[in-house]
Amino acid sequence: MKAVILAAGKGTNLSPITTTRPLPMIGLAGSTLFDNTLDLLKKSGINDVFVVVGHQKEKLIARINDNNRNGLNLHYIIQSKNEAIGRAVLQAKSKISPGEYFLLIYGDTITSENLFAKAQQSFHTFKCPIASICLPPSNEMFGNVFLNAQMKITQIIEKPKGDNLGNYVLSGAFVLPESFFSLLEKNGRNMEKALKSLVAEGNLMASMWEDGWLDIVYPWHILEANKMLMDSWNESSIAKSAVLEANVTIQGVAHIAEGAVIKAGAVLEGPCSIGEGSYIGNNSLIRSYTSLGANCSVGYGVELKNCVILDRTRVGRLSFIGDSVLGENVDFGAGSMTVNRNLDWTPITVKIGNQNVSSGLTKLGAFVGDNVVVGAGNMIKPGTSVAPGKILPACYSVTD
Amino acid sequence: MCGISGVVGLRNVTDMLFEGILSLEYRGYDSCGVALMKRNKLTIKKNVGGVEEFFRKENILSHKSKIGLAHTRWATHGKVTRDNTHPFISADKKFAVVHNGIISNHRALRDQLEREGFKFESETDSEVIPHLLEKFYRQEKDVEEALVKTLNLLEGTFALAFITEYQPGSIFCAKRESPLMLGIGDEFKFIGSDFNAFVEYTRNAVIIDDGEYAIISRDAYIVKNYFTRMEVEKPITKIDWDSETSKKGGYPHYMLKEIYEQPQTISNALELLDGPLDELAELISASNRVYLVGVGSTFYVAKFGTYAFSTYAGEFFPAVSSDEFTALASLDQNSLALAISQSGETFDTLTALKFAKSQKSKTAAIVNVMGSSIARLVDQFVMQGSGPEISVISTKAALTQMTLMLLLALKLGLKKERISKAKYKEHINSLREAPEIIHSVLNERSGFIHRVASRYAKSKHWLYLGRGVYFPIALESALKMKEVAYVHAEGMPGGFLKHGTLALIDDDIFSIVFIPPKADKALYESTIHCVEEIRARSGFVLGIHFDERGKNRNLFSEELILPPVPPILAPIIQLVIGQLFAYFTATTLKRTVDRPRFLAKSVTVG
Repeated sequence: MKAVILAAGKGTNLSPITTTRPLPMIGLAGSTLFDNTLDLLKKSGINDVFVVVGHQKEKLIARINDNNRNGLNLHYIIQSKNEAIGRAVLQAKSKISPGEYFLLIYGDTITSENLFAKAQQSFHTFKCPIASICLPPSNEMFGNVFLNAQMKITQIIEKPKGDNLGNYVLSGAFVLPESFFSLLEKNGRNMEKALKSLVAEGNLMASMWEDGWLDIVYPWHILEANKMLMDSWNESSIAKSAVLEANVTIQGVAHIAEGAVIKAGAVLEGPCSIGEGSYIGNNSLIRSYTSLGANCSVGYGVELKNCVILDRTRVGRLSFIGDSVLGENVDFGAGSMTVNRNLDWTPITVKIGNQNVSSGLTKLGAFVGDNVVVGAGNMIKPGTSVAPGKILPACYSVTD
Repeated sequence: MCGISGVVGLRNVTDMLFEGILSLEYRGYDSCGVALMKRNKLTIKKNVGGVEEFFRKENILSHKSKIGLAHTRWATHGKVTRDNTHPFISADKKFAVVHNGIISNHRALRDQLEREGFKFESETDSEVIPHLLEKFYRQEKDVEEALVKTLNLLEGTFALAFITEYQPGSIFCAKRESPLMLGIGDEFKFIGSDFNAFVEYTRNAVIIDDGEYAIISRDAYIVKNYFTRMEVEKPITKIDWDSETSKKGGYPHYMLKEIYEQPQTISNALELLDGPLDELAELISASNRVYLVGVGSTFYVAKFGTYAFSTYAGEFFPAVSSDEFTALASLDQNSLALAISQSGETFDTLTALKFAKSQKSKTAAIVNVMGSSIARLVDQFVMQGSGPEISVISTKAALTQMTLMLLLALKLGLKKERISKAKYKEHINSLREAPEIIHSVLNERSGFIHRVASRYAKSKHWLYLGRGVYFPIALESALKMKEVAYVHAEGMPGGFLKHGTLALIDDDIFSIVFIPPKADKALYESTIHCVEEIRARSGFVLGIHFDERGKNRNLFSEELILPPVPPILAPIIQLVIGQLFAYFTATTLKRTVDRPRFLAKSVTVG
C-alpha cells in the first residue's frame, strides 16, 4: 500500500521551534518525528511513501533525498501555498491509480505502537475505507466520532460545542480509495466535508486505537512525544567510538551515539539519549527524558532534565535546563536557568500567538528557537518562548 | 499498480492463492491471472475482470497445484485485454512471469528480442521478462543465472515473480522500488505485494529490499543481492496483527465489543416480555418462597433482582450465592430456586439447583446458552438471547440479566396489583428507551471515562459505594475492576462507611460513588452524605451522577456526568460506566483484557 504523509503545515502553535523547520523534523528521542513515522511505515509493510511538503520544505526534501537507510521509496510533492488539509491531500492525486487504496497520514501525530499496521489490519478486515480513531489524552482535544455496534462511523463532529460530548477523535490515519479525491473535489476540497460525505454514504469504518497517541499541537507536546518514544525503549546502546571517562554512572536505558564524549563524574539517568559527537562535561547530571542532539556541548556541572535539545547547541557551565526545548545552535550561557515552576504550583501558561494557553503542567521551562544566544546568568521564566536568533544579554550583578 | 501473490507448499495451494490475491484487489484491478504447475507442466489462466469473477468463471479452484502465482492488474502500459493480462509466458512456454511496476527500457529490449526472433503476444512492458529469461536460460542452463542476467538488464521499477518448468518447486522473485515481501510459514511459503497476501496463513514476513532477489521453495528460502550475488541475511518481521480482529468485529477486545452490543441485547430481552417472561412470572407468583441464585456477577444480578422485586412487586426474594445455597436455603415443593447463569454450566449454580431438586423445590433459570446443563435441569428456563459472550469478563450478559430482573419484577407487580397498569406501562416504556440511551452514552461519554480511568489507573485501592439498588451496581462494577484490571476494588453499601470503613480513608484509597438521580430524593441525599463523609477526611471521590456539570463543584475530586434518564434506568446506565471504567483502567495497565488471569469463562469446577 502507498502512504501519503501530510507535512506541509506551518505548525504555527509550535513556534519558535517550527519557525525554522517543518514540524516532522523536530528532534525527538535521538531521532525525529519523521524518521519515527518512516520506521513504523516500513514495519507495517509500506513500500512507497509520498510526502506533501510546504513550510520549510527544503529541510524535508534534503532529508528525503538523503534517505537510503530504511529502504522505503520516498518521494515528495510540493504544496506551494499554505492551504487547508483537503488541498494538501489532493496534491497526491496523480500518485494513486483508479481503484487503488492508500494510507493517508497526518504528519503531526505520534503513537507509542504501530498505528499504521493497525489501520491496515482494519482495512484487511473490513475491505472498505478506514478512519483510525482514538480517545485523546485530554479534554481539550475531544471530538466526537459516533459509531454503531458494527464499528461503522455514523457521524463526525470535529470540534464539539459545550462539554457534553467527549468521545473518540480521528487520530490522523486513514485508508482511503482513489475515488476519495473526487469526493474532495465535490466537497470544495474540504477534508471534513469529504469525510462526512463518506460517512453519509455509510462507507467509513473505524479502526480503534488504544495505545499511546498524541497530536503535537503545542510546544510542550514535544516533551510529551519525546517521553512517549523513550518509554518504549528496552535496551541501552553505546557506540563503539563513544568515550566514557572514569566514574561515569549510567542508570536505566541510555543511547550514546558515535563520537560522544562523557567526562568523568557525569551521571546519566535513563531514559536519555546523547547525540553523535556531543560532549558532556565533568560532573554533569543528565536526568531522565533528556534528548541531546548531535555535536552539542554541555559544560561542567550542568543539570539537564526532561528536555529536548537540538543539534550544535552549547550549554555553559553550571546551568540548568528542565522541561524545556532548545533549538539548534543555541548558545546557552553559563549559570543560566530555565525556571520550571510557579511559586504556588499553579499550571504554567504559555503565550501562543496572542493568546495565553494553559499547559496544564505544573512544571514547564522555556522554548528557545534556533541560534538564540542566552547570556550568562539569565533566569528564564516558566513558559517563555524565545524567538530564533534573539540575543539575551548577560545578567551581571556587579559591573564595576 | 498491481498485486502479486504466490504460494508454494506441501499440498494444493489454489485456495490460498485465491484468498491472497483477493486481499490485494484494493491495489486496483481490471484483469486477473494465475500460473499453476500440474505434473511439472505450467498452466496459465487469465482474463479481464475482478478476482472473484475470474476465479469463478475460470473455475480456478478446481485445479490442483502445489505452487502458484496470481496477479491482479491495473493497466499502465497496454489496454485492458486478455492478451495484456499477466502472467506472461516465454516462447518455449517454460517460464510464467508476473510483474508489478514499469520497465522503462522495455522498447529497446523488445526491439532487440524481436530481432532475435522472439514473438510478443501483448503490448505490455512486462512481456520482455519471460523472453529474457528464456534467452538467458538457453545460454546458462541455470534458472538463477538467467534471472540475475535478466535483472541486470531491466531498467525502471519492478516487483516480479516467476515459476518455471526447469525448476518446478520454486518461486523466483525480485524487487526494485515496487513492493514485495515473503511470508514464511511452516508448510507453505508465500510471496506478496504486502502482508495482506498471506497474513491469514503466517505472521512471519521477510521484507525484500531494492536490489534483492529471492528463491523460495516448500521448505526453504534464500535472499540474495543481484549485484553482489551475496546472500543477504534478512530479519523476520513479525506481523503483529490480531488474528481475531474480524471475529471481534474490528474491536480491540471482545469486552468492548460486548459492551457496545448491550443496546441490542437489551432490545432482545424486551422482546421476551410477552411469552417467556409471562410464564416465569406465573411460576414465581405460584411459589411462596423464591430464592434468586447466582455466583460472581450473577450473584450481583440476583442482588439487583432482590431490590427490583422489592421495589416493583412488593416481594422480598433473597439473593443467595450459589456456593452458599445448600447452607442457607430451606426448600419444599412450594419454593422456587430461580438461578441466573450466562453459560448454563456454572458448577456452583448447578450444584445449588440439584440440591433444590433433591428437596422437591421448583427450579427455574435465566441462561444465555441453549441446551446447557442448567437449561436442561430446571423446570422452566428463559433464554436471554444476548448472543455468545466471548470475553471472560461478563458485561452484556449480566446487564441484560439485570434488565430481565426489572421486567420480571414489573410483571409480577402488575399481576399482584402492587403497581398500577399505568405505572407498569410507564416503566416498560422507560426500559424501551434503554438501548438508545446506552448507545448515546457510549458514543458521547467514553472519552471522559477514559480520561479519568487512565489518570488514576495506578491507584491501588478503590471503594465502590452505592445505596439501595446502586449497591449491587457498585458490587458488580467493583468485580469488573478486580477481574480485568487486577486492582483491589471493594463494593460496599454507602451506609457502611461510618461503621468502620472511614478509618481507611487516606491518600491511597480512592472512592467511586454511584449517585442516583435527584428525583430519588432520599436516596440521593443519603448518597451525597457518603461523599461528604469521605471528603471531610480529604479522601478522593469520583462521583458518577446525573446532575449538571460543575453544580457540585467542590463535592467531587472527579466527576462523570450522565444525561438525565428515567429513574428505573439509572442503575443500568451507571453499570455501563462501571464496565467502561474497569475496561479503560485495564487497557491503560495493558492487561490481557479478554483473558484475565485465574479466571475461566464458565467456572465449571467446584
